[in-house]
Amino acid sequence: MFDLLTDYIRSGRIRLDKTKITYRAAYHDPCNYGRKSQELFGHGYYEEPRWILDQCISDWVDLFPKEGHQYCCGGGGGTLLTPYRDERIHYARRKMEQIKRTGAEMLVVPCHSCHAQIKAVAETYGMPDLRVKYLWEVVADIMIID
Amino acid sequence: MTSPDSINLEHLNHDRFKSWSFSQNICTTCGICSSSCPVSGVEGFDPRKLVRMVRLGFQEQLVETRWPWICTMCGKCAYVCPMKIDIANIVRGIRSLRDRDQVPGILHKGIDAALKTGNNLALPKEDYLFILEDVAEEIAAEPGFEGFKAPVDKEGANILTTIHNKLVNTHTEDLKHWWKIFHVAKEDWTLVSENWEGTNWGYFTGDDTAMKTFIGRIVEHMEQLNISSLMCPE
Repeated sequence: MFDLLTDYIRSGRIRLDKTKITYRAAYHDPCNYGRKSQELFGHGYYEEPRWILDQCISDWVDLFPKEGHQYCCGGGGGTLLTPYRDERIHYARRKMEQIKRTGAEMLVVPCHSCHAQIKAVAETYGMPDLRVKYLWEVVADIMIID
Repeated sequence: MTSPDSINLEHLNHDRFKSWSFSQNICTTCGICSSSCPVSGVEGFDPRKLVRMVRLGFQEQLVETRWPWICTMCGKCAYVCPMKIDIANIVRGIRSLRDRDQVPGILHKGIDAALKTGNNLALPKEDYLFILEDVAEEIAAEPGFEGFKAPVDKEGANILTTIHNKLVNTHTEDLKHWWKIFHVAKEDWTLVSENWEGTNWGYFTGDDTAMKTFIGRIVEHMEQLNISSLMCPE
């Protein structure tokens, strides 16, 4: 997915208008593309999404900690599909503190579980206006259409 | 979780998990895993204790507790573990030992539905195809996307893509992002009309048999349609 987007952008098959997003964004590393991918396939996808974001957004920042030390969103491993809602909300407290500290208006995630979890808990943590977007959604939003 | 006082030492069985290759026996009980875990302390959950209980063979307590189901198997504990103990897979192993009708939430129901119908929602084929066409028509109405169609079962396409069930359920708008990118990049891509489910809940519940079945279906599509690349962002 990252490789495909990178290929489309590098080869010029899609062109992006970087001026379209004028507010600050932050990036979240999903466990499966980072730690798990590193463990299973010997490669964690850390650099690729950051390169893609460099092509899309002027003001994007990392959460702290990041990459291998990134905190889980709290919705992974199928936990979104269990009835343990209070536990999930509690789990997300560090993630939401990380986001809040960056001052970002948008969180970019390349994962369906992270997307659903962050959207579900944002209001509880006082961030009802936080935009949560898929990485590929950001790309689609700013693509130049002939 | 029962308090340590009530643990019956007759349950102690050092050999119980001997066959598990997750290095659980070399734990030094340093507790770095517990410090790194965002869900430590919830219902007394503690990855260090969990590893210790596996070492001692407390199967019954481990299977009964909610611990392995509030853990997201994010792997941060294993990432910081100085002994490289595979704690996330230990948790998945414990999940696999629950009776399937005791698996919490809709996880096993979704697996059952997918085994029978090809998707977690048990969505009939005609409804599924109707949704795809409907969303494709909405895209075709946008400037620059005139004539857009979502290809299905296209032999020899460059890329096969699966679908996350929520995208043909409550989040159909989110089907559009990748489809638009494919269109602009002039990609030769295809969806499939059956067994299209992209999520694999067998991975979550520790159900290896179901997991292999779901992966096998995707491989079968790729072989039958003669497609070499898969895009599966689920």
